[in-house]
Amino acid sequence: MKPPAKMSKPTSLFVIFFSLFVMSEAVFEDQVGKFDWRQQYVGKTLFAHFDSHSQSSKKLFLATDKNIFASFNSRTGDLFWRHVDKVGPEGTIDILLLHGQDALMVVGGGRLLRSWDTNMGGLNWEAVLDTGSFQAACFVAIQDTVKHVAVLKKAVISLHYLTNGHQKWVENLPDSDTVQYQAVYSGGEEEVYVLGVVPNSHLTIIAYSLEDGEIIKQSLDLEVSLGFQPVLVSSQPHPARSPISEFFLQLGPDHHVLLQLNADGYTIAALRDFQPAFLVSFATTGEKTVAAVMTPKNETVSLQKKKKRFNNICFFKDSVVFPPQLYVHAFLKKDDSVGYRVLVQTQDHALTFIQQPGRVVWTREEALADVVTMEMVDLPLTGTQAELEGEFGKKADGLFPMVLKRLSSQVILLQVWLAHLWKLFYEARQPHGQVKNEVTIETLSRDEFNLQKMMVMVTASGKLFGIDSKSGSILWKHYLENVQPNAVFKLIVQRTTAHFPHPPQCTLLIKDKDTGLASLHVFNPIFGRKSHIAPPALPRPILQSLLLPVIDQDYAKVLLLVDDQYKVTAFPSTKNVLQQLQEMASSIFFYLIRSDQGNLSGFRLRKDLSTERIWEVVLPTEVQKIVAVNGKRPNEHVHSQGRVMGDRSVLYKYLNPNLLAVVTESTDAHPERAFVGVFLVDGVTGRIIHEAVQRKARGPVHFVHSENWVVYEYWNTKSRRNEFSVLELFEGTELYNSTVFSSLDRPHLPQVLQQTYIFPSPITTMEATLTEKGITSRHLLVGLPSGAILSLPKMFLDPRRPEVVTEHSREENLIPYAPEMPIRTEWFINYNQTVARVKGIYTAPSGLESTCLVVAYGLDIYQTRVYPSKQFDVLKDDYDYVLISSVLLALFFATMISKRLAQVKLLNRAWR
Amino acid sequence: MSDRIVDGVRKHTPSILLFFDESPFSLLWLWLSTEKRKQIKSEKIGIILYIAMASPGGQGGGAVSTRGAGARRMKWALELSLGNARGRGDRQSNQGDVMYPIGYSDKPVPDTSIQETDKNLVEKRCWDVALGPLKQIPMNLFIMYMSGNTISIFPIMMVCMMAWRPIQALMSMSATFKLLENSNQQWLQGLVYSVGNLLGSALAIYKCQSMGLLPTHSSDWLAFIEPPQRMEIMGGGMVL
Repeated sequence: MKPPAKMSKPTSLFVIFFSLFVMSEAVFEDQVGKFDWRQQYVGKTLFAHFDSHSQSSKKLFLATDKNIFASFNSRTGDLFWRHVDKVGPEGTIDILLLHGQDALMVVGGGRLLRSWDTNMGGLNWEAVLDTGSFQAACFVAIQDTVKHVAVLKKAVISLHYLTNGHQKWVENLPDSDTVQYQAVYSGGEEEVYVLGVVPNSHLTIIAYSLEDGEIIKQSLDLEVSLGFQPVLVSSQPHPARSPISEFFLQLGPDHHVLLQLNADGYTIAALRDFQPAFLVSFATTGEKTVAAVMTPKNETVSLQKKKKRFNNICFFKDSVVFPPQLYVHAFLKKDDSVGYRVLVQTQDHALTFIQQPGRVVWTREEALADVVTMEMVDLPLTGTQAELEGEFGKKADGLFPMVLKRLSSQVILLQVWLAHLWKLFYEARQPHGQVKNEVTIETLSRDEFNLQKMMVMVTASGKLFGIDSKSGSILWKHYLENVQPNAVFKLIVQRTTAHFPHPPQCTLLIKDKDTGLASLHVFNPIFGRKSHIAPPALPRPILQSLLLPVIDQDYAKVLLLVDDQYKVTAFPSTKNVLQQLQEMASSIFFYLIRSDQGNLSGFRLRKDLSTERIWEVVLPTEVQKIVAVNGKRPNEHVHSQGRVMGDRSVLYKYLNPNLLAVVTESTDAHPERAFVGVFLVDGVTGRIIHEAVQRKARGPVHFVHSENWVVYEYWNTKSRRNEFSVLELFEGTELYNSTVFSSLDRPHLPQVLQQTYIFPSPITTMEATLTEKGITSRHLLVGLPSGAILSLPKMFLDPRRPEVVTEHSREENLIPYAPEMPIRTEWFINYNQTVARVKGIYTAPSGLESTCLVVAYGLDIYQTRVYPSKQFDVLKDDYDYVLISSVLLALFFATMISKRLAQVKLLNRAWR
Repeated sequence: MSDRIVDGVRKHTPSILLFFDESPFSLLWLWLSTEKRKQIKSEKIGIILYIAMASPGGQGGGAVSTRGAGARRMKWALELSLGNARGRGDRQSNQGDVMYPIGYSDKPVPDTSIQETDKNLVEKRCWDVALGPLKQIPMNLFIMYMSGNTISIFPIMMVCMMAWRPIQALMSMSATFKLLENSNQQWLQGLVYSVGNLLGSALAIYKCQSMGLLPTHSSDWLAFIEPPQRMEIMGGGMVL
C-alpha cells in the first residue's frame, strides 16, 4: 500500500489533538536514574597510553577494537570521555600515539589522521591522507622538540605538522610492489628511516631528509633467511632520543630473551633468558626504564634496569585467563625509586589495573560491550516465601502431618521475623555510614512485584555474566574457555525459580561455526555455578534446538537438539521424558531454514526420536535470499481474542501459535528491481498464509512478529526513505474453533490488512513490549542510530486506521491515517542516556501487569521499565499519602465530635 | 381554592406538580415523589395516590376534590377564621362570651352516610391508582428523549430510576391490592397497574439497550473467551 501524498487538514489536526491526549509519558526530572541505569563500555583494548606529561595525572587513554577512543580515570576506572567512531573498517583505529597533550590517531586503514586534545577530549584537527593501506607511524623530533609525525603507508611516506596536520611532504617509496615497508623510525637527527622487508630475501632501509623528503641513503645489505619471523620488542622513550639499548627478542611463542646492544653498536649481549614468558613490555620514567615480563606462572617479573634487580610485582588470581596484552606505567616515587602500574587486558576482555604490590585497583568487564544474547530470570523467593510455597506445593498426606507441617513453617516464620528484628536492632546501633546496603548473591530475593530480576548475559568472548537488573552490578561471571570467536550461542531457560527445591537451570548451546559441533553449558542462572547435571554428548553437528513445554519429574523443560542427520537428542533424557516424548511425538514439529539454499522445511518427530520431513518450501536463491525468520515468543499472552468494532461486533484475531514470519531480500540490488518479501508460513503444515512483497525496497529489514501482527521496516529505494509496514491478520467475525487451535484443521485463510507509514529515521533494532497477561496495550521499542530508544505505540501502526473518519472509527478510537509517523522526543524512554550502537532490545514481563522491563544492549547496556498504558495498577510516586490520610483522619474525628455534640443538643432539647 | 379547606393533599401536591410539569428538572421531581411516598406510606392512601401521580393525575385529583368540596363531602372541617359572620352570630345567640371549642358548630352535621357519588369516587381513585404507571409512560418517554444515549452519570441515574421504580412497585403489589380492596373492579385494576409497571420497566430496558448497556453483542462476551488450546508443539529456526 502506498501512503497518499497528502492528508486533509482537519484530519491532521485531529491526529495532533488525539495524540496529545494519548501520550505524555516521558520521565520527570526526579525520576532520572530511579528505575534505570546505564553502563558504558569501550570494548577490547588495542592501544593504551598513560598520561605521563604531569606526575599527578590520572588519565589513561585507550583505543579499542570497537573503534572507540576513550579516556579513563586510572584511580577508579570510570570513563572521562569517549568518542565512538563508525562501525567497521571505516572507523578502525590503526595506531594511537601520545605526545604531551596531543593524542595522534590514524583512522580507517590510513584514511584520516586525527589529533585530539587529551585534556578535554576535543578534536584538534583532522587531515585526510592519501590512499593506501596503513603500515606505521611515528613522531619525528628535531633537537628535542617534536614537531612532525611521519605516516608510512604501503607505497607512500608522508610527513605532517603536529600543530595543524598540514602535510609537509609526501614521497613515493621505491619498489613498493616488491618491498613490504613495515616500520618508520626517527632518532632525533634530521632523518627519517623506513624499514622494508623483501620476503625471503633481504631487508631494506631508506633514510629520508626531514626537510624536503629527499632520499639520503639507501642500504640493501641485510640478508634474511627463510622462515625468519622475529618479533622485536624495544622501547624509545622519547622521539628525540635513540631507543634504549636493551630489547626483547621473541624466539618462540613463550620464549623471550632480553638482549643488550653494546655501545659499539655491533655486538649484542644476552642479559637474561625468559623461558616461559608470554608478554613483555617496557616503561620509562625519567632516566629509568622498567621491563615487565609476564610468565605463565601468573606472576609478573619486573626488571629494574639500572640495578639489574628482579622482583615480582603482582600475582594473578584468575590463573586460567591468559592475558593477551600488557601495558606498564612506571613513575618515580618520592624516594627516587621506580613505581609501577600495570594495565592488563586479558583474553576474556577484562581490563584490570594493578598497583605495584599486586593490588587490583579496578577491573572493567569490557566483554559486556559485545553482548550476544540474554535472558531475564526471576530471582528466588526468600526463605519465608519459599517455606510457604513449599507447604502449599506439596501433596497432603493426612491431617496430622499437615498440622505438623503448618506448625513447623510457622516456627520458621517466627524465627525469620525474630532474626529480622534483631538485624534491625543491630543496624540501628551501628553508626549510620557503616550499614552496607549492597546487593550480594546471598541477599538476593524476589521483590513484591517481581521487578528485580537476574539478567543473564552471554558475550561474544564467551564470558557469561549475571547482572542484577535493579542496580546493574555484576553478581557473577563465568568465563568459558575454548570458545571460538565466531561461535553461535543460544541461551535457553529450562527451569525457572518457580519450582522451589529445584534450583533454576539455564542451558547455553554453543556451536562452533567451523566444525559445526556444539556443546552445552548447564548452569544455575542465579549463582552462575555450573550444574552437576551432565549434558549429553553431542558427537554430530547440531542444526537447531527446540524447547518443549514438556517437563520431566524435576520440572525442567525438555530441550530437543536436532543434528545434521535430523535425529533428535533430548536433554534431560530420563525414562519419564522419553516416555512422554513417545506419547506426544506425533504433535511435535520443527522447522529448519537453510538460508544458503533458500530452503524451508518442516519435520515431524517419530516415536523413535528420528524425524520425517513433511513439507518443504524453496525460495530460489538466485532471486531472493532468506534473511530472517521469527516465530512468536512462547511466553507471550494475548488477553483479548478479538477487536471490538464500532458497531460492537467482534473482529477475531488470527492467533496462530505456529505462524512464522520469513523475511527475504532480493539478490538484485538495483533500486528499480530490488524488493523485500515477507512470507507468513505455518510452521506445522508449511502452508503460506500470506505473502507481502514490497517493490523498490531494500533491507536491512527489522521486524517484530507478535500476537496477530507483523511490523517491518525497510528502505524505500524509490522515495529514498524509511518505511514502516504493518500486517495484521484477522479470522473474521466468526471463530472457526474457539477451544483448540490446530494448524492441521484450519480451512480458511485469514483476512490480512496492511498499511504503510513513513518513518523519519533509520532504525537499528526493534522489539515489542511484553507484559504478564497481555492486557496492557503494546508499544514498539525502536532503537535509533542516534542512541535513543523510541517507545512507539502500536496504535499508530494499525492497518485499520481510516482515511476518512466515520462514526464507527471514532467509536473504536482509531487514529485517522496519516502517512507520516511522528517521533516525539518524550517517547524516548532513555531521555539523554543514549545507548551507543544498540544491537538488541530485550523485554521481559514483571509481576505488575502495567510494567515491562527493558534492556537495551549494544556498546552500552541500558535497563529501564516502561508502562505502555501508564501505571494503572500502582499508586503514583508522588501520591500524597499524608494529605489523604490526614483528611481521612480529620473527617473521622469531625464525625465523632459532631456526633457527640448532636447527642448533647438532643438531650438539652429534650429537657427544655 | 378555598383556604378553609385544610387538606394535606391539596396543600402541596398540585403546586409542586404544576411546577415540575413544565420544568426539565423532572429528575428532582422523581426523587421528591419517591421520598414523599416513603414518608407517607403509613398514612392515608389517598394522599399517596396524589403524590405519586404524575401531572395529569395530579390535575385530575384536584378536579375531583374540587367537585367533592362542592358537594360538601368533608367529614370534618376547621373553622379558623374568627371574623366569620356566621360564627359570630352563632356565638352571640348562645351563651354570650362562652368560647366553643374549635370546630364546634351548632348546625347539624350534614349527612355523611355512604352515597352513590362516594362509591363512584372510590372507584375513580382506584382507577387513578391503577392507571398511574401508564400515565407516567409519556413523561418517561420525554425524559428518555431528552437525556440522549451518551453514557454519563445523569442518563445512567435516570435509567436506573426508571428501571427501579416499576420493579419496586411490582414488589409492593400486595400493598396496592389492599388499596384497591374497596373497588369492584379490583382484579382488572390490579392487572392494569401491573401492566403499566411492566411497560415502564420495558421502557427502561429499551433505554438501556439503546444506550448499549445490555450485553447483547458478541463484543460484550469477548473478555470471557479463553485463548484456544494449542494442539501442536512447534519450534526451530535458521540452521545455527
